[in-house]
Amino acid sequence: MSDDHEPTRPHLRVVSEETPPPSQANDALVIGSAIIAALCGVGFAVGLVLETSIAVYGTALALGLLALGFGARRYFSDLFPDIEAVEPRHPEQDADDEPVAAIAPLERRSVLRNALIGAGGVFGVSLLAPVPSLGPAPGDELKRTDWRRGTRLVTTDGEPISAENVATGGVATVWPEGSINNEISAVILVRVGDARFRQPTNMEWIVNNELVAYSKVCTHAGCPVGLFREQDNALFCPCHQSTFDAVRGAIPTFGPTARALPQLPLGVDEEGFLIALGDFTEQVGPAYG
Amino acid sequence: MTPLFGKLFDQLDERLRLRTDARTAANKVFPSNWSFLLGEVALFSLVILVLTGTFLTFFYRPNVEAVTYAGSNPVFAGRTLPAAFESIVRLSSDVNGGLLFRRLHRGASHLFIATVVLHMLRIMLTGAFRRPREVNYFVGIGLLTLAFGAGFTGYSLPYDSLAGTGIRIAYSELLSLPLIGDRVAFWIFGGAFPTGDVIPRFFVLHVMVLPAALLGTVGLHLFIVYRQKHTQFPRMGVDGHTLVLGKPLWPLQFAESTTLFLWTGGLLAATAVLIPWSDVSLLGPYVPGEVGNNAQPDWFLFWLEGALRIFPPIEFGIPGTFIISGPFVAGVVLPGLIFTFLAAYPFIEKRVYGLEGEWHVLQNPLEIPLRAGVMLGVFSGLLILSAAATNDILSRMFGIPIEAMTWFFRVAVIVVPVVLGVGIARYSRGRLRRRGLVVPTSEAEEQQRYIAA
Repeated sequence: MSDDHEPTRPHLRVVSEETPPPSQANDALVIGSAIIAALCGVGFAVGLVLETSIAVYGTALALGLLALGFGARRYFSDLFPDIEAVEPRHPEQDADDEPVAAIAPLERRSVLRNALIGAGGVFGVSLLAPVPSLGPAPGDELKRTDWRRGTRLVTTDGEPISAENVATGGVATVWPEGSINNEISAVILVRVGDARFRQPTNMEWIVNNELVAYSKVCTHAGCPVGLFREQDNALFCPCHQSTFDAVRGAIPTFGPTARALPQLPLGVDEEGFLIALGDFTEQVGPAYG
Repeated sequence: MTPLFGKLFDQLDERLRLRTDARTAANKVFPSNWSFLLGEVALFSLVILVLTGTFLTFFYRPNVEAVTYAGSNPVFAGRTLPAAFESIVRLSSDVNGGLLFRRLHRGASHLFIATVVLHMLRIMLTGAFRRPREVNYFVGIGLLTLAFGAGFTGYSLPYDSLAGTGIRIAYSELLSLPLIGDRVAFWIFGGAFPTGDVIPRFFVLHVMVLPAALLGTVGLHLFIVYRQKHTQFPRMGVDGHTLVLGKPLWPLQFAESTTLFLWTGGLLAATAVLIPWSDVSLLGPYVPGEVGNNAQPDWFLFWLEGALRIFPPIEFGIPGTFIISGPFVAGVVLPGLIFTFLAAYPFIEKRVYGLEGEWHVLQNPLEIPLRAGVMLGVFSGLLILSAAATNDILSRMFGIPIEAMTWFFRVAVIVVPVVLGVGIARYSRGRLRRRGLVVPTSEAEEQQRYIAA
């Protein structure tokens, strides 16, 4: 380690220095990487303009940047001596106690300052008033869906469903006729196999003792409850694995949800198509405060 | 300096009197360690995000109205799609170079958040949060939050099926806030989910508000480092309390940063070729009422997702008025507690060990029992929560029923952090004992090990 205090570096306290000798090998590396980088740069531009694939021009871009970086590193490591220097930290300097402002306020009643600060505070709070304009008041929107007495169940393509159309052990995503893709109204229609419905399933709201409909909006965080496990008639939400028993009123049997899926009152109209007998009687979807 | 640059600088110097400040800056000394480069890589990723992101905004359509895709991608040919999703498909398949920009942007976003997290880990493990750097530590936590926000809004913009599901869950989280949840959710979303307003609003946040906040906060973060000077690892014979030892900014640190920037760009370009980041054609557009299996958010939110999955079923209160639900506790309260605790940690450590004065030399976390225990405990907990976010995938992979998998994580997230945290704290105390050391209360005391007293 050479201790260098030459006056040629008055602003930097150098503690060690190593001067690399000029190196033919290093020069070759610098020039070589510069050439590769330039060729890759051109290759990237030409490849892109000629609409080759991303594999071609992307690789050119990557190699070019890496080569340029390598060349820059080789160049700088050879261009300057390798220096270690120190800089003083000045920790725990004596606190500067003089006030920042050169001009101090005169003696005045403090109620003046307090009044203005108070008014500023009141105004600051008032300026939050535009926030409710960002969206409508919730009103009834979270309490009702588009299901009404007599609304037909339709598929996402708009086809009404007759009681025979659902495969045994199958599920179907259905919507109120006229409100397809209305997220809060999504319903999952289940045709259970030989299992018997039990409490708390509402027996007046099932069809042919095998078709039952529940809200598809998970009562945990709102994902669509789309999966059905036939062996235990479990409706399963893929987001956080909330599990509901389809023959027992969709009560939660596992997972983070605390509330059953609301059951849709299900019936059949004169033409044999499935209809709702009314809106849900419980809150649909996740809990809100 | 090349002659041209020298002349340019002289012209500016004559008008702005830059020479003294430039000299001070050029002679600033930066200590060397590979882990000090993590923050730099995060900064370079941010620059690449802004540059590639600007290109993307020229093509992205921030609305969800139905349009017909008429381009060349065979998966979506002739289909009706939300405009946001359609613009992403068009950019990827029909704009020359569009796919490269998309992949660079997505790859850089992963690198950005990953290096921010690793940088934070380095700060916490080595004690770079100690006085006088507590302010910058808070600024850093703010940056982490902004980075998460930018990441979430960013991957929601394509409005693919996973994005839409994530937005729905965010909406449900807002709804879960007691007393005010329904109103706050409607203000932020412009109505009941799904509204036509959420994508335009996420767009404004992701493209204008969050980048401005990020760049401004990064500027503040770097300014504070510049003023306080960088911390350094201890070295025999060097009093790190009164001196900083390292490379001068010019030329050596500048050279290293330049190389690092070029190599970061090169690495991202290489991943853009090899990894199909954010291939939305695999996911399809968001359709209400449908969600695919493997519904996970991006990796940096796995810890939150895992918490939502394994939290036990709770819901009590007055429905529609004041509800405490699982999503509220797991998705709002828990993250709040974790962030508050991490923010408070410097003061907890100070109180526990009676620390005094300023600290500029980094410490070995294995020699500070509280830090070793807290860090290993908290972060092993976060890792277990992250693993819990994949409980359905693991269940299928290992053939273990999902219920057993979930219970395993419920138990593990309590037991493992406690065991590991207590274990490493005991090891640390034993290590101190074996070497005849205590936790130093001042840096002068700590430096005695490295310099002749």
